Amino acid sequence: MLVKDYMTKHPLMVQRTMPVIEAQRFMGENNIRHLPIIGKGKRLLGLATRQTLLVQPATLGSLNVWEITRFLSNLTIGDVMVKAEDIITIEKDATVEEAARIMVENKIGCLPVLEDSIVVGIITEIDLLAQLMEMLATRLPGVRVTVRMPDQKGELAKLVSAISAQGWGILACGGSPALKDPTKWDAVIKIRNVPQEEIVAALEKIEGQEIMDVREV
Amino acid sequence: MSVDFEWSTDTDDHRIKTPILKVENLAISYETRKGDVQAVRDVSFEINRGEAHGIVGESGCGKSTIAFGIVNFLGRNGKIVDGSILFQGQELRGRAESDLRRLRGDQIAMVYQDPMSALNPSLRIGDQLSEVLIVHRGLSKKAAYEKCIDMLKRVYMPDPEAVMVRYPHQLSGGQQQRVVIAMALLNNPALLIMDEPTTALDVTVEAVVLDLIDELRRDFDTAIMYITHNLGVVARVSDEVGVMYAGEMVERAVVEEVFLKPMHPYTQGLMRCVPKLGLSKESSYLYPIRGRVPSPAELPPGCIFEPRCDYARPRCRQTHPELRQVAPGHFARCHFAEELAAQEWQPSEDLIADLTALTARKAEAAEPILRLQNVKTYYEQEQKSVASLIGLGGKRYVKAVDDVSIEVPKGCTLGVVGESGCGKSTLAKTIVGLEPLTAGKVEFLGFDISVPVSKRDLALIKELQMIFQNPDSTMNPSFTVGHQVGRPLRRFKTVPRQQVRSEVIRLLDAVKLDERYYDRLPRQLSGGEKQRVGIARAFAARPELVLCDEPVSSLDVSVQAAVLNLLLEIQQEYGTTLLFIAHDLSVVRFFSDYVAVMYLGKFCEIGPAEAIYAPPYHPYTEALLSAVPIPDPRAGQKRIRLSGTVPSALNPPSGCRFNTRCPRKLGHICEREEPPCRDAGGGHRIYCHIPLEELRQIEPVVTVR
Repeated sequence: MLVKDYMTKHPLMVQRTMPVIEAQRFMGENNIRHLPIIGKGKRLLGLATRQTLLVQPATLGSLNVWEITRFLSNLTIGDVMVKAEDIITIEKDATVEEAARIMVENKIGCLPVLEDSIVVGIITEIDLLAQLMEMLATRLPGVRVTVRMPDQKGELAKLVSAISAQGWGILACGGSPALKDPTKWDAVIKIRNVPQEEIVAALEKIEGQEIMDVREV
Repeated sequence: MSVDFEWSTDTDDHRIKTPILKVENLAISYETRKGDVQAVRDVSFEINRGEAHGIVGESGCGKSTIAFGIVNFLGRNGKIVDGSILFQGQELRGRAESDLRRLRGDQIAMVYQDPMSALNPSLRIGDQLSEVLIVHRGLSKKAAYEKCIDMLKRVYMPDPEAVMVRYPHQLSGGQQQRVVIAMALLNNPALLIMDEPTTALDVTVEAVVLDLIDELRRDFDTAIMYITHNLGVVARVSDEVGVMYAGEMVERAVVEEVFLKPMHPYTQGLMRCVPKLGLSKESSYLYPIRGRVPSPAELPPGCIFEPRCDYARPRCRQTHPELRQVAPGHFARCHFAEELAAQEWQPSEDLIADLTALTARKAEAAEPILRLQNVKTYYEQEQKSVASLIGLGGKRYVKAVDDVSIEVPKGCTLGVVGESGCGKSTLAKTIVGLEPLTAGKVEFLGFDISVPVSKRDLALIKELQMIFQNPDSTMNPSFTVGHQVGRPLRRFKTVPRQQVRSEVIRLLDAVKLDERYYDRLPRQLSGGEKQRVGIARAFAARPELVLCDEPVSSLDVSVQAAVLNLLLEIQQEYGTTLLFIAHDLSVVRFFSDYVAVMYLGKFCEIGPAEAIYAPPYHPYTEALLSAVPIPDPRAGQKRIRLSGTVPSALNPPSGCRFNTRCPRKLGHICEREEPPCRDAGGGHRIYCHIPLEELRQIEPVVTVR
């Protein structure tokens, strides 16, 4: 689960000479929200998002209607992009959670993935959400159980051995500290091809653990 | 106790769906003195990220022109006249030269058929590879060097550090092609265009390179446009296939659809032209497509395939069909595609008449006409030492053919297969007398023919003729066809002098060329026609034995089918014995009664054709069979890949010659002792240390579901 496995390789990229009007159309047509701008040898020069393409009304305020047209038609993406030195990037061998941390802390939606300052891919919030989705096997039907357990060694092992004692397989599994209770831990398990009642019956017997939520998804 | 993550699905669904390359209604013309020639017309296809799109077609159908059009390498007289090429969402057509150059270097890479023409012979591999990174990425020399080593390891180049300081000519063909692929991938291109990258390679090497391409495509998510004429290769590498005919794409669909449910008559015809691995001439036919590809200057007004099509109707003659969707995701350029089921196809009546004649004969056990006993052909190697200059030093020999014994029954066909450099051609040349025999005995019709051809009796020369691989280099360009075919007639006095002309015409007729060809010069003929003239010339003397050295490997499949049928027909008529050398195992299986598998100058397996292609196998035969690209996506094939290249015949491995690469090597016995001959019955002999019982238990290499 590294950035290089989940990034979009060979993203759509353009050169700095592209007019803004053209770039806007390009992003719309291809349905993309982030557009890296590259120079020679795929070196990152800048990044355009839909926001950067919005021209500040203040810059146009002093211009008359003819000047606005000329101003806009001469405007290239190189003029409006976020410059490379201001872009937060990530290396392709970083972990996905590291990418998520950087994006959350800086409240940004995308990270260009670099290797020796050359763009090799791009990872966006959608890629990370897709990764979360896959981690919990969203696309496959099964029973999703949330079990709350004490935050102690061996508790997850108890749960897993209870499941394997039944001969079932685990489709997906994840966990996080329980909300507002630092002594507890919530584990989410997804099991396939087993009726919900049987799962509840088997998991209820585990001492000290509590089923918080169970549903067919 | 099993707790496992038991799923795996595609995680790419959310990604942007813009194809890496989208070609729409592309038309390319070449300016000639006679006006513009439209080499490519109305071609559309798209390639998504990480997908391989195959483009197949016979020579001259415009495959490479498309590739050149994409990177604008068309040359001074070529131009894109219509359509659009979208690469990563941006139009390539009409871009400035400098823009395109940057794009080519950074995001599009190409691999061509001949690796030697892509490598600079005067630069070391390391310098050529790192140049890419230094120029395009501005890396330092040292950083570039390290990246190159990594990439060479990635393409499984043995000993990359040593390869970096070598010159291209010091590498084998397969290694050169790997260097070219590594070079293409150094910049992590979004699109890789491969133009017949494996055509010049041996099957075993080809299999390794194809595996590599497949693996790299997955790892780098590179879109691949794969151009080839080989249906088997396309079935192995591509997700989608486009079939080209005379500059137009006539069919496009996912690979299984094209191979299992071809909709266009041309595609159906192509499938019938290739011998399926495992089928023989007794149980099946090859149906050549009649006529030939129209020249781009004289296209028929309606459907371009109409003159050769068995289903042609009046509408085909009048209106030009569009490429239209005939089934979900399946496009064909035919008015009646839905009505033409490939299974219901019947050969036309004249074809049936021709072909039934072919099966009438069944090879019977006859007297051997050719007998080879312990034949050796060595080439003396020049030594550089002073001692050898005065004749004292030890001599070194290239053992091209080493101790080979075989018998060929009269009227039968013996196929000889093996990788390049295994001595197939030397064997043929030795028999025909072009190479002097070092030791052993060759007996033909009971006569000893161990002497060079210049010392042989004229009557003997007459009985032994040869068909060569390359018809261009074996025909005198300044003599007419009639003169060249007539020469053996005059020389051997097969017919009286005044009948030579009529006999030549009869021979030309036998190879399906009419009288008009009599006065033509070789340059006025197509490749297939030249090869037919070569065949006519070989059979002119009415020989008993004809040695065919790769007679069909340079021909297109539809022509190949016609030439094979022709050889069968002539063989039947004259009862000629054939020695058929080829590297294509499906063709050899189809064509031969007996097959000999050769490795480094020795036979490792000899037997009736059907026995060779089923267990027990020699491990080398097994590896060869697993490497053959099969034109059927359903066929399951064992994956045996030979490591390394054929060792030098100058210093062959001791014991069993195959021991250095054998996947079933037993141990020291293979290195020390010559393998014994194991008789599997019915004339099937295997030279291997592994006992027959074990060899019998090997599972068949190819399984068809």
